[in-house]
Amino acid sequence: MTKLLAAVIVCITLAAASVALSQSFNVRLGDTKGPVQPINFSHKIHAGTNQMDCKYCHYGAANSQWANIPAVSTCMGCHKFVLTDRPEIVKLTGYADRGEQIPWEKVHYLPDHVKFNHKRHVRAGFACQECHGPVQDMDRVYQFSSLKMGWCVGCHRKNLTNPNFPATMDCLVCHH
Amino acid sequence: MSDDQVAFDRRDFLKLVGIGVAGVTAGCAKPPAEKLIPYLVAPEDILPGVPYFYASTCRECPAGCGLIVRTREGRAIKLEGNPAHPLNEGGLCARGQAGLQGLYDPDRIKTPLVKEGAGWKAVTWDEAVALVGGKIAAAKNRTTLLTGLETGSMRALAGELGSSVGAKHVMWEPFGFEALRAANRATFGIDAVPRLDVGAARCLVAFGADLLETLLSPVSQARGFAAMRAQRDDGGGHFVTVEPRLSSTGANADEWVAAKSGTEFAVALGMANVIVNEGLGPAAAERAALKGALADWTPEKVAALTDVPAETLTRLARLFAQRSPSLAVAGGIATQGTNGTALAAAVNVLNHVAGNTGRTVRFDRVLDVSGLATFAQFSVELASMAAGNCDVLLVHGANPAYAAPDWAPVKDAFLKVPFKVALSTARDETTELCDVILPISHPLESFGDAWSARGVYALQQPAMKKLPMFDSRSLGDVLIAVGKAGGGGKSWPDSYHDYLQGRWKALHARFGKGRDFETFWTESLQAGGVFEDVPATAVRWTGTPSFAASERFGPGEYALLLTPSNNFYDGRGANRPWLQELPDMTSKTVWGSWAEIHPETAQKLGVKQGEPLRVETSAGNVEVPAYIYGGIRKDTVAIALGQGHTSYGRYAKGRGVNAVRLLPKSMDEAAGAVAYQGANAKLSRGTAAMELYVQQAEKDQHDRHIAQIVPLAALLGGKAAAGHSGGGEAGAGEEEAPSAAHYPAGEGVHDVHESMTRPGKYTEPKARPEGWKPPAHAITAFEPKLKGRHPGDDPVNVGSYPGAKHRWAMTVDLNSCTGCAACVVACNAENNIPIVGPDLVRRGREMQWIRIDRFEEKVAPGANDVRFVPMMCQHCGDAPCEMVCPVYATYHSPEGLNAQVYNRCVGTRYCSNNCPYKVRAFNWFDYSAPEKTTFAFPEPLNWQLNPDVTVRSKGVMEKCTMCIQRILEGKGNAKDESRAVRDGEIQTACAQSCPTRAITFGDLADPESAVHEKSFGERRYWVFEELYTKPGVTYLQKVTRDTAGGEA
Repeated sequence: MTKLLAAVIVCITLAAASVALSQSFNVRLGDTKGPVQPINFSHKIHAGTNQMDCKYCHYGAANSQWANIPAVSTCMGCHKFVLTDRPEIVKLTGYADRGEQIPWEKVHYLPDHVKFNHKRHVRAGFACQECHGPVQDMDRVYQFSSLKMGWCVGCHRKNLTNPNFPATMDCLVCHH
Repeated sequence: MSDDQVAFDRRDFLKLVGIGVAGVTAGCAKPPAEKLIPYLVAPEDILPGVPYFYASTCRECPAGCGLIVRTREGRAIKLEGNPAHPLNEGGLCARGQAGLQGLYDPDRIKTPLVKEGAGWKAVTWDEAVALVGGKIAAAKNRTTLLTGLETGSMRALAGELGSSVGAKHVMWEPFGFEALRAANRATFGIDAVPRLDVGAARCLVAFGADLLETLLSPVSQARGFAAMRAQRDDGGGHFVTVEPRLSSTGANADEWVAAKSGTEFAVALGMANVIVNEGLGPAAAERAALKGALADWTPEKVAALTDVPAETLTRLARLFAQRSPSLAVAGGIATQGTNGTALAAAVNVLNHVAGNTGRTVRFDRVLDVSGLATFAQFSVELASMAAGNCDVLLVHGANPAYAAPDWAPVKDAFLKVPFKVALSTARDETTELCDVILPISHPLESFGDAWSARGVYALQQPAMKKLPMFDSRSLGDVLIAVGKAGGGGKSWPDSYHDYLQGRWKALHARFGKGRDFETFWTESLQAGGVFEDVPATAVRWTGTPSFAASERFGPGEYALLLTPSNNFYDGRGANRPWLQELPDMTSKTVWGSWAEIHPETAQKLGVKQGEPLRVETSAGNVEVPAYIYGGIRKDTVAIALGQGHTSYGRYAKGRGVNAVRLLPKSMDEAAGAVAYQGANAKLSRGTAAMELYVQQAEKDQHDRHIAQIVPLAALLGGKAAAGHSGGGEAGAGEEEAPSAAHYPAGEGVHDVHESMTRPGKYTEPKARPEGWKPPAHAITAFEPKLKGRHPGDDPVNVGSYPGAKHRWAMTVDLNSCTGCAACVVACNAENNIPIVGPDLVRRGREMQWIRIDRFEEKVAPGANDVRFVPMMCQHCGDAPCEMVCPVYATYHSPEGLNAQVYNRCVGTRYCSNNCPYKVRAFNWFDYSAPEKTTFAFPEPLNWQLNPDVTVRSKGVMEKCTMCIQRILEGKGNAKDESRAVRDGEIQTACAQSCPTRAITFGDLADPESAVHEKSFGERRYWVFEELYTKPGVTYLQKVTRDTAGGEA
């Protein structure tokens, strides 16, 4: 009986520990190459070399609680004429012609019980790079910041008395 | 265990470690990658994450209230009343809120269907339209189009369909107000039902009229009711109800006159007789005109007929005449006996002699019901069909197979018509009888208009694209298509939208001067329509019909009352799970039927609550669970209509009984209406096994002062200044010391609330000798101050955090709350609240964040004291739940909200245990997992979910958040516009929907806000204030009026 009991206790503890451990892993942290995308879109070329403003494509970030991935038509706005013979552009044009939306791989994950409001943060005056890292230097976007709650709370705590835009430590603002 | 024995040996240890490592590795698997799918072509004006609003019209009942539909990412997720609409002015009833579940009904019809043998075959639209069109063409003027009430352009289209392909348009509603129309025809010569200006009335007497539930225009009547009850002078705001069973409307009355069923008309005539004979009230000419007709109806004769004492009649007559303008209301199914017209006419007489005609009875913005066929006319149509005179029948928005009594020749008619087409959104009983089913889009997906009242030209527009999983088309488009396929409609455009615009050119000419049509159209769509003021048609008395008592048919000592359902109307709402789970206003039962009987009746029959009761009439019998109710006469039994569907989807099918089956053949001949109150019933103990699912079993407050009242006299005398009258004592205002005013009269001068001390067997102090004093060092030597501080003495913002910019708080005015529970359904819609079903509700596991508690106080016969208390999380400043959470999942936000963080909650449920208000709901099952049987949102109900609110999973506690998502949205909008939040800009879902504006939400820290004014005003109190939880929800006592005094 003692043997069995000990075995059961050890198993339960190890199972619990493994569950707890797995839940604390952030999916993509540490992966500095970024997931492979269906089209090899390079932010380095667009946002870096060509110095396009982030909000030209990601206009939702400043106007909605959800930032947006640009529509295929946004890309085609330039690439109907620009470098149409490059293999990646040919892929893009293929999607547009077929009327198929590009299935981008998600890079930044937040769980369902977190409600993050992009508009508030952008209008607070933070540069996109503060959270998303040096995107203008990334060929393939990777997750730069941990996006864990401790990381969010750290910045909020720092900005509690920010005269322009005081942050809040109220749990309810993100968890409702 | 001995020293040299180890727990396990090396091998076992390694096995265990191996298992553990395997477990850890398994837990480390990455979750599957998600995709981000962008638009193909981004629309210019739509941004995901931002809500967009469309004005439309509610079609859940003939009233046609204005809607604003909130959409997110192209999905309608919440309905709200349109503040600019003259009928509802922003409020929306429970049925209106549940309209979304009609749109997202998982059992909606998916494709056109053609009957094949015992089953159905799916066909394409082209095939179906061709088939129907062919039959219509072949029918050559022997087509009938049967609909519910249609107004405006749809009625015009139906009429044109009639003239072009020979289709007769018949409009029939089970609640068709036939008696009201007939009575007004007889007495005023107008085929119309007047508008009831309830707000202007100083005394309201309802003769079994459920004006706050289903009668005519409930939301606008509720608004008026709140205005009436807000009257503060001693002569105003009285509400008396005359009915054999205290309805949910009647529960709000100051006095209940329990007249025998079918004799309510005599009460009206008796009152009118007194008014005329005593020369009361301002209408001298009217009194003279009707004196002769009323001569017979003396109080004594009426008393004998009705069981209402003559003194009561006299007193009420004086009250009614002297508090002018007053208003008597008749109508409604609960008084629709064979003499329904007589009752309506008697009420017209009463109003007329009291001088109300033209004042509170106004023929201005009348509801457009005059095109409705009476039941008699409908029966003629049915008989004609049964005789073989109809070749093609098109049915939309009418369910006679369910709602018409068995003796109406519905089945015969349907059998004889060779080709029947159902134009339906959901498959109800009538749809099942048809040969072809054409799926019709829900009004929220369709263009249309509703000219529901004179001067109201409301528009209906799609708030979203048609749902892709249902291949439906809008009613107008289908009628145009089949009309054209049937050889007609040459002048019609191909789409109903164009037809509608064509019809609105006339309105553009009237209202759109100076703007081109496109601009006028867009502006009208944005506003929800065009509305104009309508002058009242002056009326004169044209004739007095005869009056007779209601006839009843069949054997039995009990009068059977069939009552309309606030939840389901005539049964059309039964497929909406929110409405099934919404507790009935009277019995607080869910998901089934019940029969209400008096406690003495129950005792006589030997039936206890919940036990089967057999109700037998000459037409049939049913067994339903008994509900013991003190608010019904001993010779009466009541069953609500609306349940007992045999089709109509998974939520409606097989629940309860359809009480219409119990009706013997009886009609109000003068009106051509079904006599819903025509049956005698035999009651006996039943044998079938059944359950009564009651959400609130205990209607007694047990002196806990949860629902408090203040008599109007006390309020006017200024005695209840701080407003804690302790629940129901007339003498609450006991002069001087403010703390003494808190306690019920007769308590003496001791300043201790009765709940603080309770003398018991062992707690009486020991008898001490005279002059004995405790030694100085003893604890009992401490003598407390004689005047204690009562929790109610503290201001309501005692729970506010200093320095916080906002303190969100709420007031609930019990004087305005009618118990209609629109707030409950609004909250369900806004906050993704799962539906749990009857078994779990019976176990107390309903998930609603707000409930309406109904408390029935013991009163003398004739008096009425039913109180409704909306109860939601009180957001206590000193919350008992916050201090017991072991993981700090619930805490107090700086802005005054009690917050629940779902991801932190581990499910100890200690918070719910500690909450004195019991407003917390625990997710015992996984209501959000599609693979589980408890999944509460089968597709497409999950389309309705609000993306701003987390969908909770199993093991998590939830409760009212004061719509934090709306607060954040409001604050965000204000910040974007660099301004402060305006009072009234942020409204919680419950406050927004309330037809009587009983709930006020706002910022207590803003001294100008409405909630500040109410929270510091008179009548305020906290529920369980002796616990000193410092709630953020302040209640305002209900004002009761004494109808005993018949003086001015």
